[in-house]
Amino acid sequence: MTYTRRQFLGTTALAVAGAGLSACTGVSDEPSGGGSGNQGSNTLRLFTYDDASQMPKLKEQIAAFDQQNGTTTTVDNLPGSGAAVYPDKLRTQLLGGSGPDVWRIWGGQLGAPFATAKQAADLAPYYAKYGWDGRINQNAIAGMTFDGVKSGVPFFLAGVGAWYNKALFAKAKVQPPTSYAALEQLNDALVAAGVTPLGTGGKYGWHIMRLFEFLLEVSAGPELHDKLLAGAETWDRPEVVTAFTNFKKWQDRKWMPQGALGLDPADIEPGFVQGKQAYTIAGQWVENNAIGAAKKPASEFGTFELPTDHTPTRHSGFVEGYMVNARSANKDKAAALIDFLVQPATQKALGITGSTVTGAEPDQAKLPLAAQWTDINKSSPFYTIQDQAFPKQQSDQYFTVQSELLQGKASPAEAAKKMQDVVSAWAKDK
Amino acid sequence: MTPRRGGLAGTVLLSLGAVIWISPLVLLLVTSVRPLADFVANGPLTWPHEFTWGNFADAWDIGNFATTYRNSAILLALKVPVGVLLSAMLAFALSKLRIRFRRTIMFAVFLGLTIPIYITIVPVFIMLRSMGITDNLLGLVGPYLAFGIPFEVLVLQSFFRQLPDELIEAAKIDGAGEWRVFLTLVLPLSLPALVTVAILDAVATWNEFLFALIVLNSDASKTIPVGLLNFQGQFANNNTGLAAGILIAVVPILIAYVILQRWIVSGLTTGATKG
Amino acid sequence: MATTATARRGRGGFTPWLFALPALLVYIAFLVYPAFSSLFFSFTDWDGLSPGYEVVGLDNYRAMLSDDVVVKAALNNLIWTVVTIVVPIVLGLALAVALDGKVRGKPVLRMLFYTPGVLPLVSVASIWGWLYNPDYGAVNEFLRTVGLGGLAQPWLGQDSTALAAVMVPAVWLRTGFPMLLYLAALQSIPREQYEAATVDGATRAQRFWRITMPNLRPAHYIVLALSLIDSFKVFDLIYATTYGGPGTATQVMGTWMYFNVFQYYQAGYGTAIAVVITLVAVAVSIPYVLSQTRESDR
Repeated sequence: MTYTRRQFLGTTALAVAGAGLSACTGVSDEPSGGGSGNQGSNTLRLFTYDDASQMPKLKEQIAAFDQQNGTTTTVDNLPGSGAAVYPDKLRTQLLGGSGPDVWRIWGGQLGAPFATAKQAADLAPYYAKYGWDGRINQNAIAGMTFDGVKSGVPFFLAGVGAWYNKALFAKAKVQPPTSYAALEQLNDALVAAGVTPLGTGGKYGWHIMRLFEFLLEVSAGPELHDKLLAGAETWDRPEVVTAFTNFKKWQDRKWMPQGALGLDPADIEPGFVQGKQAYTIAGQWVENNAIGAAKKPASEFGTFELPTDHTPTRHSGFVEGYMVNARSANKDKAAALIDFLVQPATQKALGITGSTVTGAEPDQAKLPLAAQWTDINKSSPFYTIQDQAFPKQQSDQYFTVQSELLQGKASPAEAAKKMQDVVSAWAKDK
Repeated sequence: MTPRRGGLAGTVLLSLGAVIWISPLVLLLVTSVRPLADFVANGPLTWPHEFTWGNFADAWDIGNFATTYRNSAILLALKVPVGVLLSAMLAFALSKLRIRFRRTIMFAVFLGLTIPIYITIVPVFIMLRSMGITDNLLGLVGPYLAFGIPFEVLVLQSFFRQLPDELIEAAKIDGAGEWRVFLTLVLPLSLPALVTVAILDAVATWNEFLFALIVLNSDASKTIPVGLLNFQGQFANNNTGLAAGILIAVVPILIAYVILQRWIVSGLTTGATKG
Repeated sequence: MATTATARRGRGGFTPWLFALPALLVYIAFLVYPAFSSLFFSFTDWDGLSPGYEVVGLDNYRAMLSDDVVVKAALNNLIWTVVTIVVPIVLGLALAVALDGKVRGKPVLRMLFYTPGVLPLVSVASIWGWLYNPDYGAVNEFLRTVGLGGLAQPWLGQDSTALAAVMVPAVWLRTGFPMLLYLAALQSIPREQYEAATVDGATRAQRFWRITMPNLRPAHYIVLALSLIDSFKVFDLIYATTYGGPGTATQVMGTWMYFNVFQYYQAGYGTAIAVVITLVAVAVSIPYVLSQTRESDR
């Protein structure tokens, strides 16, 4: 039963809906077809999800750009809920023909749909024009390249590792571990000292997932882990079962808080700063958002890459960057705006804790811990954080498997089988 | 109930209940007057080490309240009176005028009580786009009106029915047409019921989130509930600011409620005496 | 009715439509028509993103039968609807009866019980999230303090308690209004009716069932109407408090529809879910709606 839209519309009363739909196919006579500006005009719109506290700095930089270029740039911001709401909202805007000229987005499967639907412009000409390849971390650029097309310009490269409270480590007389076995011993020592080791929260799924993906890297190793994420190898295998077994062990041995599955990440992540847990698994933002926000000195805390017992040691990571609306009438100016934003001076002014830009590394004096990750990122590669390795639907199914396992409703072997069902169904469609 | 002895015991018991009932809100109040650093460093359920009023000033800026307050107020001023008036007109037609298909109309309108708002989001969004009023407060008025109508009509028509027909008869004998009867007789007599539906409608409009989130894009057109998102971040929430922001957002509704609660009570009283 | 002046115009004529049409047009344009459009989308495979789609007949509805989450969500909806209609009404009525007695500070108490009802949902989710925290939340602290530490639970963190844990704030939010309405209705019951009954030797229970309850009938109808609206449409409270989790344990049709339409690129399937819940809600409500329609003839 295949109808074309037009055939159908000829015979139904839904013509209004249809007219609305065709307006977004690009056949409409809107001059800009999205974007805020008319041909050659000087208006730009940037859509982002910066924290509200970040907005004044961003607006200041945008104002400087506008002054230099004679443009008028509006910034629309949708903070909140992390990746839960923003992509939906961006999609509705693009669909509504009122898409922004430039938008901020994560890499991986969160950014991919906009690239594959060709809503994001191919930025290869601008890469050539502005020489971004030479100034931006190549690993990060790869994270914004989809099907060989450079669809975005990354400015933030998160490296995910452990962030810990030195006083609590001292209390249990432990040091940052150098092997997975040492990490387990560290957990036992902390529990013995009356400290909950890992602060993690399972509401939304993606926070507690940071533990599982690490356990999978430990048991599967880099090569197999990547194949699993791509759906190129079956999940129904001993390495995955081991990872799930370990995952359950972390909960059963009280290495994470009781009822971690129901905790909000935003509440639990600062737990190590509050002294409620010894450490959390997070990225460089923690130094500003947890340690800085609590007005504690960075010297009371430390960070380390989680030991995987593999060479090279890899950590979970993700990129964030900017895309340009393929239907923007102001692509040149939009690209100029991005180039301005990825200048080292701008990145520094914005206080980006994990900038991809050479010369904009975090200030050793201001963000000593985040600065360590600049070095780690240089020496050690990252694998795509798992909620960006899969589309949202598969991620959610994956989180359900996690949840069932931790509640004892599925054995590790069953969990591995269920994951294979989830991933193979997706890989088949791909 | 008949007046009872032991009013004191009842008062104490109820007050205790009320204190427990309201205690989660105390958490909100406390959070709103402690510094963010104190909150992040100690967690939500601790007694603050220091107090500050600064959250309110900060929240005003972060929540963009100067704009969102104005937008929500405009929306309220547009939506509530129009909604109540349209509903009252329909309710009047259904209860005091002879209209064909009366029962069919009633049935169809009351059925709307159960239609979930989210089923209409996608089509309404497409419709608004073709009308060019996405990212526009005006775009919200239509859907908000439509979803308010069933309940308002239900309450108002049952209230109008209690008004004695003789009164209307008398006015008609004096030569008043339907419009005059409606405007000068029915509406003034029904003021308590109108106030009641208006305040319920106002609370719902003031707090509506889903449609506003989908339809409004730019900071300049956001309403209060969407603006409250500003207190959440990608990796951390500004909970003290959020608490202050919520209090700022709720105050007008609470004030309106305090002023109008006498009306609510007497309004429904009249409707309820005759069954 | 036949005696009213309007009756002289036969079947009513044109004027009544002038009163009725504005509201009806808005209602049709922004509620009826979109609802039917959704019905159409539910027969397509539209992803919500692309310009085109194919009509796939009943495929989406068939797919629901094999979707475990739909089954769970439907069950959750049922539980939610029953609990969040019955509990706030009973609690509201009890509070109203208590407040109607000889109580001092009535306006203040009334206000305290009603206040949660005006809060934006985002705040409700945060507050209750903190209260439920397994380690240092107020709920478990309280249980430990009164020596019931064994009952302390990760309330939002396990399938078995999560739904109940979200229903508590729902009840908390929604008890105030029934209380207010019942209180208003109670205060309007003529005292003479009670006095007469007392003279006849009626017990307090008899007075309640024979006098109070019948007099509250119009209030029941309004309260029920509001409860129906809120209960079937449950979406934001669950979305904000548990995000449908842990896993999919607290998914209801509303949230599951939202996930499918806005996050999984399955607008066709998502609207099919919405259509089903709407049809169920409408079917369940028909007796109520009919009673209201009939009521108008009395």
